[in-house]
Order: sequence, then C-alpha cells, then structure tokens
Amino acid sequence: MTELVPVLAAVVPALPLGCAVALQATRTPAGTDRLNIAAAIATAAAALALATTALARGGDPPLHGDLYLVDGASGVFLAVIAVVGLCSALTSPAFLRGAGRSWFSAKRSRHWYYAALYAFWAALLAVPIAGNLALAWLLVEATTATSALLIAFTGSRHALEAGWKYLVLTTLGLSVSLLGIIVLALALSSSGGEGLGALDWDALEHSARGLPHEATLVAFVLILAGLATKIGWAPVHNWLPDAHSEAPAPISALLSAALLPTVALVAWRVKATLDVAVSGATAGTLFIGFGLASLIVAVPFLWRSLPWKRLLAYSSLEHMGVVALGIGFGTPLAIAGVVIHVAGHGLAKALGFYAALPLLRSDPDAAQRAPAGVLATSRPTAAAMGVSIGALGGLPPSPLFVSELLVLAGGIEAGETAIAAVAAGALALGFLGLLHALLEGVIGPADKRPRAASRSERPIAVLTGAFGAGLLALTVAGVLLPGSAFIDALAKGAL
Amino acid sequence: MSGALVTVILLCGLGVIVVRRRSAAIALVAAQSLALGAGALGLASGRSSDFLVASVVLLAKAVALPALLLVVMRRTREPRLVAPAAPALARLAGAGAVAFAAVALVPPLGLGDAHTEHTAVALVLVGIAIVVARRPAFLQLIGLIVAENGLSLLAVSVPGGLSYVVELGALFDLALVVTVALAFTQRIHLELGTGDTELLRGLRD
Repeated sequence: MTELVPVLAAVVPALPLGCAVALQATRTPAGTDRLNIAAAIATAAAALALATTALARGGDPPLHGDLYLVDGASGVFLAVIAVVGLCSALTSPAFLRGAGRSWFSAKRSRHWYYAALYAFWAALLAVPIAGNLALAWLLVEATTATSALLIAFTGSRHALEAGWKYLVLTTLGLSVSLLGIIVLALALSSSGGEGLGALDWDALEHSARGLPHEATLVAFVLILAGLATKIGWAPVHNWLPDAHSEAPAPISALLSAALLPTVALVAWRVKATLDVAVSGATAGTLFIGFGLASLIVAVPFLWRSLPWKRLLAYSSLEHMGVVALGIGFGTPLAIAGVVIHVAGHGLAKALGFYAALPLLRSDPDAAQRAPAGVLATSRPTAAAMGVSIGALGGLPPSPLFVSELLVLAGGIEAGETAIAAVAAGALALGFLGLLHALLEGVIGPADKRPRAASRSERPIAVLTGAFGAGLLALTVAGVLLPGSAFIDALAKGAL
Repeated sequence: MSGALVTVILLCGLGVIVVRRRSAAIALVAAQSLALGAGALGLASGRSSDFLVASVVLLAKAVALPALLLVVMRRTREPRLVAPAAPALARLAGAGAVAFAAVALVPPLGLGDAHTEHTAVALVLVGIAIVVARRPAFLQLIGLIVAENGLSLLAVSVPGGLSYVVELGALFDLALVVTVALAFTQRIHLELGTGDTELLRGLRD
C-alpha cells in the first residue's frame, strides 16, 4: 500500500473538491442528496485507505513527498476527519429537510450547503498530510471562509452573529500566526534556509538547532497564540460556544470533532519541530498554560443549565484543554492519552451533535434552553445523548476515562505533579457538571408528554450503536497503546 | 522599501481608525495597498521572477479589493452614520498605545531594517485595534485588510522574499475571506437594516 501513498495524498483532498463541483450540477433535492451520499462514501473511503496505510506502518519513519508528510499522527487525524465527515455528510439531508429559513434562496441553498461542506472537508483532510508549515497555515485559513458560511447557514440573527464573530476572530488569530511564520522565515533565511522548502516539517526539524533562540521564540509564541484562537483554547475561545451552538448540527460535529483537534495537530507539529530552538520546557509550558486555562474556564459553564449544543461547545473547550496538556507534558504516556483523546472525543462529541437533530426537530425550543427528561419522549435520542455525555464526562468504560488518566499519568511522569493534580480536580468538577446534565436532561422528569419513537429516529439509533462500539474499541486501544513503537515514535516527535 | 513609503503605509492604517465615512476608509486602504504594491515592485529588481509575479498580484489586489468594497458599500447604504464606540482621538490614542507597546516589547526580528519591522508589527496591531474599536462590520473588515497589509509588508521585505507560494496562497486566502466577509456584511445589513455589529450581541451565557 505504501506505493499508493503519493496518489492517495493527492486524491484525498482533491476528491471532495471535485464532489463539491459535481454536486452543483444536480437538478432536484433528492438527486443532490443521493449524490452527496455517494460522494461522502468515496471521500471517506479514500481518506480511510490513507489513514490505514499510515497507521499500519506503526513506528516506521514518515513518508515524505514534495508537499505531503504521512506519519502516525496523520493516520489518526485522517481517520477521525474521515469518519466524522462521512457521518456529517450522511446526516445533512435530514438537517436540510427540516431546516426552515436559510441565508440562500430556497432553490440554491442545498447546493451552497454541500459546496461549502465538501470544500471545508477537503481542507480539513489536507491539513494532517500537509508536509509544510506554511501550507498547513494556508489550509487552516481556507477552512475559515468555508466553515463561516456553514455556521451562518440559517441566516438568523444569532447565526450571523456567530459566523461573523468566528470569521473575524479566527482570521485575526491566523494573521498573528502568519506573522510568526514570517518571523520564522526571517530566522531561517539568516541561517541559509530560503524558499518554501525551508518550512517543510522535516527541514525545520533539521535546521532548528542553528536558529537564533530569541527570534525563534518570538515566532513560536506568535504561531501558537494565533493557532490557539482557531483551536478555541482559553482565553481566546470567545467564538467557540457561539459557532458550535448556532451552526447546523452536522457542521457543529465537524467543527468540534475534526477542526479543533486538526489545528491542534499543526500546533503539535510546530512544537515537535521547534522544541530544540525554543527549549522544550518553554514550549511545553505554553501548551500546559493553554490547557489548564481551558479546563478551568470550561468548568463553570459545564455546571450551568445550558442548551444542549452550547453545553457540548463548552465541553469542547474542556477537551481541547486536555489535548493541550498532553502535548505540553510530551511524555509517551501523555501522547498515548492525546491520541486516544482525539479519537474518543471525536466520536463522542459528533454523536452528541447528531443527537441534536432529532432533539431539535421534536422540540425546537431546546435550541434556547436546557433539555429535560428526553428519555421519556424519545429513547433513541436519549440513548445517543447518554452515550455522548457519559463518554465526554469520562464515565468508565469511556475511552476518555483512559485517555485522561494517561495524560495525568504523563504529567506526573514529566514531573508536573501539581499541574496534573489541578487538572484532575478540574476534570472531576467537569464530570460532575456533565453528570448533572445527564441526570436532568436525559433521565430526569420530562417537560413534554411522552410519544412513540418515529421512523426518523432510526438513523440516530444506528449511529449510537456504531459509535458506542467504536468508543469501546478505543477504550481497549487505550489500554494497549502505551509502550507501543507507534506511540514512542510520536512522543519522540519524529516527523 | 523607502522609509517614506513605509511611513505612508502606516499613516493610512492609522487613518482608518479615525475616519467616520466608509468611503474614506476604502480610499485609505486602497492607498495603503497601492503603496505596498509599488514598494514591492521596487524591490523586485535583482530578485527572482516569482517575486515579481507576487508583487504584480499584490498590486492587482490593491485595485480589486477596494473596487469590491465600493460595490458592497453602494449596496449597503447606511440610513445614518453609525455612532462611534469612542471619540476619534481616543480610538487613535488607544491604537497608537497598543502599537507602541508592541514595538517596544517585540525584539528585533532579524530583518535588519527596524523601521519596516516596527511598522509591520504596528500595522497588524492597528488592524486588530480597528476591529475592536469600530462598530460597523464593513470597517471591521477593513481592519482585517490593514492587518494583512502589515503582514505583506514584512513578507516582501524578507531578503529574497517569502516563498511566492506562501505569498500568493495568503493573498488567495485573503481574497476568499474578504469575499465571504462582504457576503456577511450584506446579509447583516439586510437582516438589521444597518451594518452596526453592536446590534449583534444576543449570544451570551
């Protein structure tokens, strides 16, 4: 399969772009939805083939091309983006059938939605295999324009507010990041590295030792601070709860489960390559700072009675904090935790957002207030919400229970016991907040009369079964991963 | 790039934070972008042909983006001038203070031309200050362009130039973001009857 990697690396981002164009040629809504299903399956299949190839190589050195790099981390992130993208595309027809008003005319709204969705998915799939820092930045910036349109798709005042805030704040953040990249290019040119190739991940790693410390530190801080805005790390997370709560549910799933961790991967690669030049402790401390701040800021909101999607948004803030901590600690145990956390969070969070589709269809007011006693009104929706929130809270046997333990153990292994203790406290408080939401929102007394499950709830039941099985498989993987060659290679930052 | 041209680029950015009329802001950002494009063309001799292409594209952007802004401005007529969040002098003083603080704090970046380095960093921060201090969505968008011009100033000043792939890619991304932002501006105007983002404050916890 390795010989197919150059082809797959080109096909994986190109295929969804082609699909975005092809979907514009359809004439009926049913035809558009049918082509969407075929396009989604083809895109996910190509991405999963590349992910499987990358993961099958275990701890082997990464594969490089002119513009791509395929390593173990690429495999993990590609798999998550492929699965979440596939499910988001498959659940989109249900959203579009129930969507009332839209930014676009009724005749073209489906075409605009799918064009933006597939362009967004294409850019997301390209980020983990981008072999160059500047290229990765360009792709992350490209996700902004496409996803902003999707966030504001309904055209409501709140959706416009969320989309505008997201567009402006993340563009400014990425401008700061680009400033850091230019400063880094300046530092590289002073040591003989010029052109696009100087910013290749492997070239950066090789030239890092010869870079001037002060300029590289400034570049690193600027790049990380800018990316933090897009990842949604506190204190630069203001757009996150609004965008996640106002976007169509399939898009919220992509934003939370795929976009945030994918940008975190770029930050992780920056740390892995520039560690030597900025001194590993400084780089790690910055990640730990963002991680701890995100955990602590999220907790009060997880305790509040919030609308379902808004609660999930604050949970994203908490979980991106865990990812930042794991990368900051950087030990093999912590990195194993990060890998499982990205995959587990992706599945659990996406399921939570998909559950919002039947929830909001049966009770549109749930967009403005916390749900109550969903079990009494819809068992399939309640099951999806229960599995999602139980997993996100870290309730055993959730893979996030294992991954959080691994990250905390990694912190102790790195000598950051106090940080690990504070993080454990914040995670415990977050768990109690989510447990409260589970008891009140899902199991507690209903504020509506019970009704029989309708046929339209079967898809969420199927998704719950599939994602539940996936989560259990990740729990097993979380137990087996520490100590593997795959994790050791990632922890060493081999690119 | 000559020190005078760099100063003009900075003054145009500072002007955007002061002016009240959108047409004046467009004129300032157009002048800033043209000065930047002209400065880049001046640096092109002795550099690669890729840099020349990037400079021409930068100049084309200086014409295309203001034209696009003008079209959208005419489609989104404000019934009256949006009340400023703070007096012009206060806005200017705030942006100036942030820019001076950053210039004082950021160590030499290695360009060897402190004036250009300071101006580029200051422009990025002035752009951020415009977004924070101006209420109309249209002027916030111009703030984004000012910040991007600061980045372009630094990028073209890198010895040998930043890779043209990065420069052209960043310009393409900017064009994409500006196009989407202009679509937002029109939609916000349609929804609210004005581009005043102060009215978009319904999402709070």
